[in-house]
Amino acid sequence: MSDAIFQIGADGIDTEAIVAEIRATVAQKTKEGVYADSRIGRAERFNLMNFKNEEDFLPFYLDCLKDAVFVDINDFEIYERRARLARPLVVLKKYIWKILKFYTYRLWSQQNQVNGLLLTAVENIETRYRSKISALEKRVAELEQNATGNSGS
Amino acid sequence: MNTAKRIAFVCPRFAEGGTVGGAETLLRNLATQAAKAGQQVTFLTTCATSHVSWTNTLPPGRKSFDGVDVHFFPVDQDRNEGAFLHAQQSICSQRKATLDDEAEWVDNGVHSSELYAHLDTHREDYDRIIMGPYLFGLVYKASTIIPEKTVLVPCLHDESFAYLDCTRNLFERVRTIMFNAQPERALAERLFNVPREKSHVVGMGLDPVNIKALTDSPMLPPQYIIYCGRRETMKGTPLLTDYLTVFRQRTGRDIRIVFTGSGSIEAPDILRSAITDLGFVSEAHKHAAMAGAVAFCHPSVNESLGIVILESWLCGTPVLVHAISDVLRDHCARSGGGLWFRNYPEFEESLTLMLDRKDLNQAMGEAGRKYVQEEYSWERVTQKMFHALDA
Repeated sequence: MSDAIFQIGADGIDTEAIVAEIRATVAQKTKEGVYADSRIGRAERFNLMNFKNEEDFLPFYLDCLKDAVFVDINDFEIYERRARLARPLVVLKKYIWKILKFYTYRLWSQQNQVNGLLLTAVENIETRYRSKISALEKRVAELEQNATGNSGS
Repeated sequence: MNTAKRIAFVCPRFAEGGTVGGAETLLRNLATQAAKAGQQVTFLTTCATSHVSWTNTLPPGRKSFDGVDVHFFPVDQDRNEGAFLHAQQSICSQRKATLDDEAEWVDNGVHSSELYAHLDTHREDYDRIIMGPYLFGLVYKASTIIPEKTVLVPCLHDESFAYLDCTRNLFERVRTIMFNAQPERALAERLFNVPREKSHVVGMGLDPVNIKALTDSPMLPPQYIIYCGRRETMKGTPLLTDYLTVFRQRTGRDIRIVFTGSGSIEAPDILRSAITDLGFVSEAHKHAAMAGAVAFCHPSVNESLGIVILESWLCGTPVLVHAISDVLRDHCARSGGGLWFRNYPEFEESLTLMLDRKDLNQAMGEAGRKYVQEEYSWERVTQKMFHALDA
């Protein structure tokens, strides 16, 4: 963000300009993948209802969905905070995880496949209808312009 | 010149003790200020304290509060609560409810025949009747008794009930409408074509806060944001706790959150240790907590005034609000006292800026304070109210 925008002038602070600068920064960082984070997708769950009447609800919703759609089923570091018996507890936990993974991996990977397919389908539908609506709006505008031109002549 | 000397206020509940609500507090404060200004003020309300059960818990009769003559009338007990809830559900689930739904909703809402009879009998005793908020059957019915003298304080939000025909009728029927903020007036103009000459932005005044006197502070964390008020989904508190959790995880900053007010706090377990819940506290303690915060965060999208952000500014603390709320965003833009976000990334950037740029943060707090002192002093608000009553 440029510092110039955050100067405190004699007339006060132009918070509209600051917010515009913040939005530009967010747009840039989003392109760079800074906000591609599943935690953000999950944090937006309560925000989605706020956008239900907004034109940009669906793209925003899909962005969140993209970040949250896949269940993390990979291995993770297993540790034990209690110093006493730490090693045997870690071994036990690893063993439990191994069994759980054996029984659940197939289920969760199928779920991830379904989630991914559903998301792709919704994205395709959204893109297709958005372009169709855009073309229709353009056509209506042309027809209206022609009608105005004809009635004027 | 104040030509309206005898003023009646009508509100389904009276703000006293445990009965707390933004609209109720607003109407009571306006009544108190009108009485202080020398007007003859009567407050007509019900014996109910709960806006859910509407049970008559207070004794009927008259009582004086701060120079205001308060009349408590019993709520009619013949309402069909099931029909009311059913109609309310239909209205909330669709933007355009049927006329039957609307009739069920109004008829089975809160009513007081004795209050209506009093208004009818004393129609010549009052120059103006100020009533609100718009959401209650009692206000809808009371406004039909002497509409030519009725002044509505709607506390209007962009919600399903605002789109009902009965709401439109109410706005069309009354003599004058007093709004809390410019965006609320703009919403009414958009929905009901309210003519400019009958609408006025008045709001509520705030008493100055003496921060220097606030030394007896509760135990507070070193660096925190604050939220004061009801904790519920409609107010956006779960969104706030989710955002702060992710903010702490992503940035590694140990910024905490302080809550005052009522209701349980819905938050991820991982955030629990970073939450300080002060519950109900005195005004002085609330202001002390506000004064020490990095920012007051108000994630609610349905506010008609946003009293708490005005209080926060009086304490010199800038605010961070949800952009969807036209009212809160408008306050921030006009005052220069805060920032607004639409989503998590904007929240993260805004809060980071507020944490990193202390000079800017302090200047925003000062700008907010100046705005409240100029626009929301009681002197200014009372002036605007009398102007609206005389119009």
